[in-house]
Amino acid sequence: MVQESNPRFEFRIFGINIEKAIESLEKLTPRLQTRNMNSIYLLTAGNTKNNIKIRDGIMDIKVLEHEVDGLEQWNPYLVGEFPLKSDVIKTVVFPALGIVCPVMEREQYTLNQFLDEVISIDPDLSVAFVKKTRHGYMLNNCIAEIAEVLVNGALIYTLCVESEDAAQVLATKKMLGICSDVENVNYPLALKRIMGLSSLPKNYWDSRD
Amino acid sequence: MTKEQLEIGAISKPRFEFRTFGKEFDDAAFLMSRLSVPVPEKVWERFSEEIYIVSKTNDINNTKIRDGKMDIKTFVQSVDGLEQWNPLMKGEFPMQADMLQKEVFPAFMVEMPQLTKGVYTLEEFLDIVHNHADLQAVRVEKERFGYMVNDTICEYANVWINGAMVVSVNSESTEVEDIKKTITDLKLEDAENINYLQAIKRVIGMSNKKLAN
Repeated sequence: MVQESNPRFEFRIFGINIEKAIESLEKLTPRLQTRNMNSIYLLTAGNTKNNIKIRDGIMDIKVLEHEVDGLEQWNPYLVGEFPLKSDVIKTVVFPALGIVCPVMEREQYTLNQFLDEVISIDPDLSVAFVKKTRHGYMLNNCIAEIAEVLVNGALIYTLCVESEDAAQVLATKKMLGICSDVENVNYPLALKRIMGLSSLPKNYWDSRD
Repeated sequence: MTKEQLEIGAISKPRFEFRTFGKEFDDAAFLMSRLSVPVPEKVWERFSEEIYIVSKTNDINNTKIRDGKMDIKTFVQSVDGLEQWNPLMKGEFPMQADMLQKEVFPAFMVEMPQLTKGVYTLEEFLDIVHNHADLQAVRVEKERFGYMVNDTICEYANVWINGAMVVSVNSESTEVEDIKKTITDLKLEDAENINYLQAIKRVIGMSNKKLAN
């Protein structure tokens, strides 16, 4: 397993009505790049510490290492490329998902075999097919992003600020007019809320007015 | 046979429906707005908040709760790909356990949970749903724009399913041929007929099928 980069502190919000923060970011700094990407997220109700996704046939896992001042620090590592050995699925993937690994009938699995024969038949697992259009920015020495995200075909927006320096993220968040009581929502939590694996925020209806 | 004159919002004999869901139907929405006859102001734009109860094992009963009132519709038949749904039950919270046991949970087609109280508030009912492995309560908000095309009731809607947005267009009428003409006029021939229950299941991952676009 190869560590990709130094862990960054991250603050992220999701919603349909996050226009104010998006407008602030676009006013303050130019858009640097736009990328389209498709990912498959593996989700379980009980797992809150591991962000498990497959992109371009490669699985990676980010582990939630620290929470500091409402920011999250995720440590990414590569699991490997499909076809994936059943031993890796058993000893790395399922422990990260927090559920019991089923009996593996193959020595290795292609992505389709993994999805069809292992994932889709497990009642404790949910899969989110996610298409992202990611717009990248730099602001106050932080990496910032606005993205249109299609989750199983349904649209939601996200805005993110990240840096290795937590204080820098907090200052940038302030520059964008994001109040201190706004919830930091990571990708797995946002997906789990849409898919009903996690409860919606208690003020969900109020926040929609 | 005389055609029944449809009136938006009025009770009529069971209608057939074509509905589809996806990320955008801008062309259909434009055509709908241009082909529509004038409609009552009260249906120009409507907003509602609902809770749908979906179950892993049921695709024929559609249960929703709006303003504390439960409404279950049941699938009757499909004609030329159009679906006909009839009302199965209507109830209101607080709801008698007897009604939950005899009418509501059987419609979900899941194992009956143990009901220990005589009457259940909406919150108590949602707790039962939350704790049932095969059931899920889904928050749905709708922003609906009403039209009337070829004597069929039409709608363009923005729909938020647990906060994520999809777009829906539909045409409904007692007359199958009127709906088919409307589908052609709105250039929706290639779009799959997807009802609310299926759309919600696809978004929340209870079904692995895709939306229409």
